Amino acid sequence: MTRLAIRNLFQSRTRLAISVGGVALALMLILALEAIVSWIEQRVTAYIDASGADIWVSQEGVRNMHMASSSFSASLAASVARVAGVASVTPILYRTNVVLAGEDRTISYIIGLPDRADAGLPWIIRSGRANPGRGGAVIDQGIAEASGIGLGDTVEILGDEFEVVGLSGGTASLTNSIAFISRRDFARVLADPRVVSFLLVRLEPGQVPQDVARRIEAQVPRVTAQTREAFAAQERKVVRDMSTDLMAIMNLVGFLIGLAVMSLTVYTATLGRRAEYGVLKALGASNRDLYTTVGIQAVVSVGLGLFVGLAFTLALSAVVPQFASNMGLVVSPLSVAEAAAASLVFAGAAAVLPIRQVRRLDPAMVFRGK
Amino acid sequence: MLVARKNLVQEKTRLALSVGGVALAIMLVLILDGLQVGMFRQITAYLDHSEGSIVVAQDGVVNLLGASSLLPPETQEQVAGVRGVDEVVPILSQFVILDLHGKKQPVYLVGYTPEVGGGPWEIVDGREPRNDKELIFDRVLADRHGLGIGDRVEVMDRQFRIVGVSSGTASWMTSFIFLQKSAVEGLLSAPGATSFLLVSVDEGREPEAVLTRIARLTDLEVLWKSEMASNDTRLFARFFSAPVRLMTGIAFLVGALVVGLVIYTATVERQREFGALKALGAPNRLLYLVVLAQALLAALLGTAIGTGLAQAASAVIMAVRPQFLVVLEADMTGRAAVIGLAMALVAALLPARVVAQLAPAEVFRR
Repeated sequence: MTRLAIRNLFQSRTRLAISVGGVALALMLILALEAIVSWIEQRVTAYIDASGADIWVSQEGVRNMHMASSSFSASLAASVARVAGVASVTPILYRTNVVLAGEDRTISYIIGLPDRADAGLPWIIRSGRANPGRGGAVIDQGIAEASGIGLGDTVEILGDEFEVVGLSGGTASLTNSIAFISRRDFARVLADPRVVSFLLVRLEPGQVPQDVARRIEAQVPRVTAQTREAFAAQERKVVRDMSTDLMAIMNLVGFLIGLAVMSLTVYTATLGRRAEYGVLKALGASNRDLYTTVGIQAVVSVGLGLFVGLAFTLALSAVVPQFASNMGLVVSPLSVAEAAAASLVFAGAAAVLPIRQVRRLDPAMVFRGK
Repeated sequence: MLVARKNLVQEKTRLALSVGGVALAIMLVLILDGLQVGMFRQITAYLDHSEGSIVVAQDGVVNLLGASSLLPPETQEQVAGVRGVDEVVPILSQFVILDLHGKKQPVYLVGYTPEVGGGPWEIVDGREPRNDKELIFDRVLADRHGLGIGDRVEVMDRQFRIVGVSSGTASWMTSFIFLQKSAVEGLLSAPGATSFLLVSVDEGREPEAVLTRIARLTDLEVLWKSEMASNDTRLFARFFSAPVRLMTGIAFLVGALVVGLVIYTATVERQREFGALKALGAPNRLLYLVVLAQALLAALLGTAIGTGLAQAASAVIMAVRPQFLVVLEADMTGRAAVIGLAMALVAALLPARVVAQLAPAEVFRR
């Protein structure tokens, strides 16, 4: 029966291509969207992950950077530095603003770094230097190239002009980039220049970050201290929670499309082979044999669709970053498992209509030439 | 046409599948379009309803929602002193993340002065805040989290009491909440700070001339409110248009595939009849017309049903998830009809090829 089902399926290549293509499209929709969100999650925590800080200290109640604002007295840096186990404290300023490079405006996280920063510097430097210093700025290389800007050119950040002294890598995403200026330059535009946004804390060797974070919260008033991993997890949760509704709709759309295409192709394939199924019935094949045939056809079509959809998404994830530094896809094993589960539902649903058709098939029909 | 209609309606399930496939595709296209239009309306809701026609922002900032803006303290007085300026409304705004029932919920805080303006345009319940511990919450967000007047919410670790509920201030991604400006200054540790000025022009004055005069003040970005709204729409369109276009494209392809497949199967099954027609002297052109007419019938019927389904589905979506606004405009139906016709044309290609390659003698060999 398996051989018959597969031969039958591959006999009409056009129909098979349409069926596999439809399922691949639907699964690609589910896979690609999940892959884009996974990539954004990774990219949104890139600065935190590469900051070199073991603990992030923020304004009390502020647990992430994206779409958030944190500010507290700079004098608390000294209090944090006195906590047992703390090796160094780097105070930074942070705000979402605009980098004006030539005629191009890019929404950016602006980071204000102290002259001697022990953490929080750009982690990949393509050219120039990492610490911007007074009057200098380090901006993303991709953004600079797109605007025709290079080292020594001028960009406008927070309404002031800065000389580009460094070009960084891995600092741009679909939504924004990261730019670095000196903390003193940043403070000039603040309503209160005596505040900082975050303290990046490095620990002495052998210290446990969770323990030191607890000590900081106990000894320093009105701050929230989180390990780097916990801070990054909160950041990822913001992206995940924001995209949940959109993902649900898109996944539903992908699911409906896959279901419609698969059901229809398997149904029409069975319809087209009605006479052959009639012959098989007349020759003594049981309904169960014919159900197996239909089921195998559905599973093979969906399996091929999953393979093509996955291959195409993986190809996209390899190709897209080559053409756009601010865009990418990360295909996670979980999303592949989700797509595979959706495929099984497609195959199951697709087999229902034809099975009904096969059950009602009259073996004598074949002799009547129908 | 008669042959086409008979061929199409002979197998009822198949007809239902092909019409259903197109209807599903058209419904998806319409809902995706409607969601995008609704999203853009929600994004610009604050600027559409707030006071004034000119916005003054920090130099370089041309979006309300994209970047935070901070104006020098003396700006409000300077702008108010410009000839032709009637009223200046200062606001201090910032995105923050609320933790509501374990979910991260971004909201856009607007700090305003109730006596001056810049607050919500429709308070459906309660009143405006009278001190720094009160706020107005968005209705949709409040309903989703079971919050109402008198309840307390935590914003950046400070407790606020909900004293008002506003309408038209939600979107699927974020909602607006309104506090006294001094309360937001406290939250952001930015005493006296202002993000934007909403400027009204004296009646009888030339707005362009007033805008030019304000723009002469140094280190400011001065633009029309409508311009800033377009900038916000463009910014968000950059993030969301690509996935929506991708999905519309996929929906189109699926619709075409479904109709194509059904007509293809029907054509293959009726090969003998088509062969007989050819043998009787029917030219290929006539047979193409039969195939095309079938595709057109299925597509038109599917488009009509899909449009109705889209209306129903959007009502369901907005009832179940009120943060989504689906706006189905009249021109979208026209576009859906064009898409349906395009699907029919694409769908007719495969079966037309089958008919074209058919040898008239085929019918006598069977």
